[in-house]
Amino acid sequence: MGKLIVVACGAGINTSTIAEDSIQERMVQEGFADVEVKRILMADIDGYVGRTDLVLIVSMMKIFRTFDVPVIQGMPFLIGSQDEKNVLLDKIVDIVKNV
Amino acid sequence: MEILSTAVGWLLGLGSSLIVMIVLIILGLLFRVGWQKAVRGGITAGVGLAGLFLVVNVIIGALQPAVAEMATRFGLTKTIVDVNWADAGIAWGWPGVAGLIVLLLVVNILMVVLKLTKTLWTDVWSYWHGSALAGFVWAATDGNVLLGILAGVLYLVIGGLMSDMTAKKYQEFNDMPGIGVPCGTTVQASLFAIPVVWLLDRIPGLKDWDASPEGIKKRFGLIGEPAVLGFVLGVIIGIFAYGTGEGDLGLTKILGLGMNVAVMMVILPRMVSIIAEGIVPITMSIVQYMRERFKDREIYVAVDCAVLLGHPAVMASTIILFPLLVFLAAILPGVQMLPIASLAVIPFWAGAVVPYTRGNVIKTVIVIMLYSIPFMYFSTMLVDSQTEAYRMMGQFTELIDQGLKLGSWDMGGDILGFFIRIFFNLFG
Repeated sequence: MGKLIVVACGAGINTSTIAEDSIQERMVQEGFADVEVKRILMADIDGYVGRTDLVLIVSMMKIFRTFDVPVIQGMPFLIGSQDEKNVLLDKIVDIVKNV
Repeated sequence: MEILSTAVGWLLGLGSSLIVMIVLIILGLLFRVGWQKAVRGGITAGVGLAGLFLVVNVIIGALQPAVAEMATRFGLTKTIVDVNWADAGIAWGWPGVAGLIVLLLVVNILMVVLKLTKTLWTDVWSYWHGSALAGFVWAATDGNVLLGILAGVLYLVIGGLMSDMTAKKYQEFNDMPGIGVPCGTTVQASLFAIPVVWLLDRIPGLKDWDASPEGIKKRFGLIGEPAVLGFVLGVIIGIFAYGTGEGDLGLTKILGLGMNVAVMMVILPRMVSIIAEGIVPITMSIVQYMRERFKDREIYVAVDCAVLLGHPAVMASTIILFPLLVFLAAILPGVQMLPIASLAVIPFWAGAVVPYTRGNVIKTVIVIMLYSIPFMYFSTMLVDSQTEAYRMMGQFTELIDQGLKLGSWDMGGDILGFFIRIFFNLFG
């Protein structure tokens, strides 16, 4: 079964696009053909939390609730240096591998 | 000067989709994103821009007859069609956009080096606020590209200074060290909130009045969905416009308008996001470059206002504000635009205000209601130069010649933008 990573932000316009771009690129590099990276509105998150293929939520905002799947704060994708981004991407790769 | 005007004429002849494509490919190469990403980004943004205007075309076709009908029936002069983020189409498609981006970067780097600001203006997408304003000034001054660029850069520089003032608060409230949000009407909402909240905190009774965000979301959350909100607003306007239509025709028109407005509320932001997608590689390259240069200093890296939307009070306040603001715009004399597409900006304003109301829903609602009033008047007062900008870009020209007026809150009603436009229009 495929694995789903959702990248959630407030508007689904700009910030989530930036993070999605970085994650997508890394997934291709790793050769993960079955991983889908999808950018969504945080307001629509409830449509995804029940899905069995969801492995990770990357949030571009502060989150004020808890989820059953791991949540990663994606701010370094916006403002981080390449090193900081790589740390985060390694973490994401780990999570995807170990599910 | 002659070369400039020849170049501008040539660009305009191409149309805005090709302008944004060429501009982004050139900037992409300039900022070394690699030619493949540059080409993909440029074409993607062009597609988004074309899509944006397609949607606006649909909505003008549906809404304009309706507001005209309301005007003849009730003498209700709310005849400006609200296109809100279609202004992003002006921003990325007007002939001076490349000059504006480069000049702002140069000015920002200089200001950071001279320690006049801590905000690194790296969020290229959000330049659109200044660039749309630049387009309005360009239109108001008979096509003066230079004045447009200067106005837009001035607006964005002031936005950066406002970000300096608000960054700490945003960082603490949202747990996001190192960020700043210099976005147009959003950061202004924060500064507006400071004195108003101070005052509200001194009014007995109001001080501790709050409403539960969860409760509001549970009961009225549906209205916060863009599709539902659009449909309901379309139907309400439809009832006023076609309510006594003959038989089924009235009902068909009313429901049809509801669906069309819903289409706009859902598709318009999607199209805007496609433009944004095209700009991402340039943004990432600029962030890397600037971070390298200024790594030993305390700086605020500019990010989009969307990062402020996390707190539950944001959505709750927004839901309450939607009907209130439409009602307010309907009854205020002299306000000629009913907000529909412009309501999409409300969550961002709420996101900028909640750090100052400490998440209090009632106070957030009061602050934004007051804040929106100048937007209602300014967007009406300066609607002509805004509409002219669309016409000069070759959009909706026939309808505009027949009297169509296009307005918005974000950027048409912008408070800081209003004063900058008035000032620069003196040179027109």
